[in-house]
Amino acid sequence: CKQRRKFNFCTDCNSKTHSADRCPNIWRSYITLPQNKAHKFKYPADLIYCYNCAERGHYGDECLQQRVSKTPNINGSAFTGENLPRELR
Amino acid sequence: NNNPRYPWIRNNDHSKQIEISDWLTMEIKDFIKYISPSAEEIQARNNTVGRLRECITGMWPDAEVHCFGSFATDLYLPGSDIDMVVVSKARNNKYDNRSSLYQLSSYIRNNKLGINVETIAKAKVPIIKFVDPATKIHIDISFERTNGIKAAELIISWIKDTPGLRELVLIVKQFLAVRRLNVVHTGGLGGFATICLVRSFLKLHPRMATRSIDPLENLGVLLIEFFELYGYNFGYDNTVVAFDEDGDPYYVSKNSNAAFQNRNPFTLAIQDPHDKNNNISRGTFNLRDIKRAFGGAFELLVNKCYDMNQATYKERLGQSVLGDIIKYKGKQR
Repeated sequence: CKQRRKFNFCTDCNSKTHSADRCPNIWRSYITLPQNKAHKFKYPADLIYCYNCAERGHYGDECLQQRVSKTPNINGSAFTGENLPRELR
Repeated sequence: NNNPRYPWIRNNDHSKQIEISDWLTMEIKDFIKYISPSAEEIQARNNTVGRLRECITGMWPDAEVHCFGSFATDLYLPGSDIDMVVVSKARNNKYDNRSSLYQLSSYIRNNKLGINVETIAKAKVPIIKFVDPATKIHIDISFERTNGIKAAELIISWIKDTPGLRELVLIVKQFLAVRRLNVVHTGGLGGFATICLVRSFLKLHPRMATRSIDPLENLGVLLIEFFELYGYNFGYDNTVVAFDEDGDPYYVSKNSNAAFQNRNPFTLAIQDPHDKNNNISRGTFNLRDIKRAFGGAFELLVNKCYDMNQATYKERLGQSVLGDIIKYKGKQR
């Protein structure tokens, strides 16, 4: 039994960055596995790295250093703490 | 429904899918099925390799013939070449010389084992290039270079422990091949570097690292997010893709190792899993076009998703989501 859960970084889809018909939730949706006794999600401490500053412990979307890429990241990406399963955020 | 540029959608309509990322996932699977070699093609390739191996070891009984590259790792596209290497059993570099090179190339020519035989002696890695007369597949033979065999073994173990790796690598390889961004001599991204980027992306992805998704059920969104990471967000000037002894990926700053510093900071750096001071993507000097292509693929896929999400059922019929970024230019299969 699989559950579908929407990516919910962008809680207000009438936000300033995009209109509802161009909301990333349209494509950023995962078919998720359920968490239960046999399958427990584990906080991936040793697999959290920043694409921007290369430091361990945070994702690139949350980096406090100056952004290295010249291409803007307006709506947020997959690499944010918000994209961890809800139980681990 | 019969567009020859994206033949994999024939008889595979997913336009009724509610989620566009599921439609894309299904198309990725259809495409992989379409380009995967048939049993006869596999047999023909194996026969070619077996025949060459027999001939070479017949001529040089103390030689071993190994395959490496995409043929050995099962990551080849239709028309990909076969990479072979001749090594002496004693590992004493006995065949690493001009006379072995010319001896084997004239043997291949005289026994009609290959057509268009070229002997490239002056390159850093001397090779014999030819075309197999039976299958018309291009074959490269090098001498006494074992790092390709080692890399192939590592890749095979990675494919085993990372579901989704094979699928995404085949899609990205085809994407790069159509744009001629896969040739290292012209600054493109080689096969091993592509595998490293996909593996690092998959293992570090928050949903994958927590095992909260099955990658094979989510190939569509993962493909878009691969292009999002390396086309938009990755800090190439600063960040190195690296792997520890267990093959787990991590990032490290370029400042930490002189081997990754370059006059041009905007270069891709991937640490060789077998040698911490070697950058395996050193030759990929055309990062500008690669990043632009990945970013463009992200734009196109995302916009197609928005369009299809708005479209009526009638407008969706016969459409391809993947077809905006992947073309198939070979003969129809």
